[in-house]
Amino acid sequence: MASDLLSIAKSGARAARVALDVTAQNIANASSEGYVRRTVRLEEVSAAGGIGRIGDVSLSGVRVDQVIRNADLFRQAEVRRTGADLSRADAEVSGLESIEAAIEQTGVFGAIVEFEGALQQLAVDPTDPSLRAATIETTRTMARTFNIAATSLDTAGQGIRFEAGDDVDQVNLLAQELSRVNLRLARAADASSDQTSLLDQRDSLLQQLSERVDVSASFAGDHSVEVRIGGPAGTVLVNGGTAGSMAMATAGDGTISFTLDGNPVTPLSGALVGRGQALVKLADARAELDSIADGIVATVNAAQANGTALDGTPGIAMLSGSGAAGIALASDDGALIATAPAGAGPNSRDPGNLSALRAALGVNDAAGALDALLFDVSATVRGRSVTRDTLGAIAGNARIALAAQAGVDLDQEAMNLVRFQQAFQASGRVMQVASDLFDTLLGIR
Amino acid sequence: MTIFSTSTSAFFERSHSGMTALRLQAEALQQQLGTGERLQRASDDPVAASRLRTLARAGQLTRIDTANAERAASDLTLTDATLSAFAETLTRAQELAVQAGSDTLTAQQRAAIGTELEQIHGHLVSLANSRDSAGHALFGGEAAGQAYALDGLGNAVYQGTGSAGELALGDGQSVTRGLTGPEVLTFNLAGSPTDTFATIKDLALALGGASADPAQSARDALGALTGALDAVATSQTVVGTRLAWLDFVTSRHEDLGELRASEEAELGGTDLAATVAQLQEVLVVLEASQASFAKLAGLSLFGRLN
Repeated sequence: MASDLLSIAKSGARAARVALDVTAQNIANASSEGYVRRTVRLEEVSAAGGIGRIGDVSLSGVRVDQVIRNADLFRQAEVRRTGADLSRADAEVSGLESIEAAIEQTGVFGAIVEFEGALQQLAVDPTDPSLRAATIETTRTMARTFNIAATSLDTAGQGIRFEAGDDVDQVNLLAQELSRVNLRLARAADASSDQTSLLDQRDSLLQQLSERVDVSASFAGDHSVEVRIGGPAGTVLVNGGTAGSMAMATAGDGTISFTLDGNPVTPLSGALVGRGQALVKLADARAELDSIADGIVATVNAAQANGTALDGTPGIAMLSGSGAAGIALASDDGALIATAPAGAGPNSRDPGNLSALRAALGVNDAAGALDALLFDVSATVRGRSVTRDTLGAIAGNARIALAAQAGVDLDQEAMNLVRFQQAFQASGRVMQVASDLFDTLLGIR
Repeated sequence: MTIFSTSTSAFFERSHSGMTALRLQAEALQQQLGTGERLQRASDDPVAASRLRTLARAGQLTRIDTANAERAASDLTLTDATLSAFAETLTRAQELAVQAGSDTLTAQQRAAIGTELEQIHGHLVSLANSRDSAGHALFGGEAAGQAYALDGLGNAVYQGTGSAGELALGDGQSVTRGLTGPEVLTFNLAGSPTDTFATIKDLALALGGASADPAQSARDALGALTGALDAVATSQTVVGTRLAWLDFVTSRHEDLGELRASEEAELGGTDLAATVAQLQEVLVVLEASQASFAKLAGLSLFGRLN
């Protein structure tokens, strides 16, 4: 007889203890980020009968075969993919919103309308010094509002680039972490608790990475991961124990591009892509704002050159500088506004040149162009927000689906707790029985 | 999507995302009620926001047009009052000419009338040099200085420009903002243009002894004075018509302003009744989901084990 009741009971008690430990671990980590529910797989230990021992009972109890990690690779990949899309859309919308705020809330449109209004008011009495002063001040306000809008746009661009730079640093950090986890995974014993926690770490790092760039992960036999950026055929970021180094370059117009180990790389999604897209839109908006400002400078100065100032001298340029950041008032003397046509004498009330200026501004239609710019930006924000919300719902569902499968269900753990406690008690009872049997044998007299 | 198994964290995440969405909706509605504006930023409704910008621009420019029209109206009213003074003065000159035309008057009496006519000439010149509300010559067109100046012989000479200039009133409408001196004080006598100042000056000189038959000169001048009065009356009609046109343009601005205001309210204003009802609905759903969440979250098997 090769079985030993006491050692069977001992193995049962030990297995129940391990199962209870795992249950407790599950309960403790019920809300840990990236924790995947574990279950214990138990296996019977028994010897097959050998020669001459056929029909023998040879039972040795139970052993812990494996700690199973209930992770679904497909659902994890879905969470990474949808999460990367959502991060891209999120980053793009937040960048676009700051562009919208920079142009809309600085009130450039209102300032241009005020300027048009001041010229219109000046037409009623072109020689009135107070109306001339008012026109100069509104012109100054308009120029400064353009300056502020340009600065706000530049600041928004700097903010977006700063965040993108931080993302690149994070990508490099996460890639190095992943390569270290890869090395440790290669050394970890199969199905050990050490391996499961490393796998949790690996998946959590992959998910964090996917928020910044798109991640194409392929897993080797030892569970180490190879990560590529830019699709399954893209550039390798992490392979075994080596991690690539990502870098960001800023072009003259503020747009950004990326390199991986010195080679150009184009991520497909993730926050970095969203920030890049926002910066492209920002560069467009900035160029448009510049051209509107240049249009106003050219129109006003061309009309000034054709007219006569209040003192009878030929008109001189009223605005200086170029671009939204450079536009400035050239002179703050109201008398220099050339309202009268060329050749008119001093103090002329002839508003001929003022009418020409207003007509030219009407053709130039800066307010209309700015309205179109604002409409373009806000409609883009609107459209991208809808996309973002849709992607948010998809990513949320993917996350919940993964959590439902891989997360801890406390009710189930409570049941397991009762079940394994009972198993432990039963094994204890078996020990008691073994002891009683022994006593019975000893008691024979 | 259907999820068959569930985990505690999935339950909490689902409940959280559902309640967060409801809360955000409620907050957006509350903000609409609090500000009275449906759009908090242009991206809330880009088309409506662009339309609102266009309306605001039109509104601001129309307000300036209206102010300009009011100023033109006050100048035209001043012109009208001055024209009435012209008419009164010319009527007095006409009376004096009738008196002087009587053969019963002595030479001294005629000379006295001549002196009075010279005074009237002076009054007319100063009336013609009246100022508008901005201090410019009312009858000087777009000239910088006086409308009329006296030359060495005491004759009034027009110094202004040929026309009074147009003032744009928006939407392509405009009004001529005044009358020039010659438009009021020059009339046709027997086919040739005649100056009112010269007529009165000549009559005054004739009565003062320059004419051999001053009574006949006075009778001759009567026709010219009637022409001068007619010219003033015609000018008054022109001014009245322009004032009526300004009234029309101003009331049109007001009508358009009302239309704009109603469109602005429709595009950008909050529909209170609908928004309050929506908010109430969201709040009811939010409360229900909070209550059911609290119930479900309290349902733990651990509570039943002892």
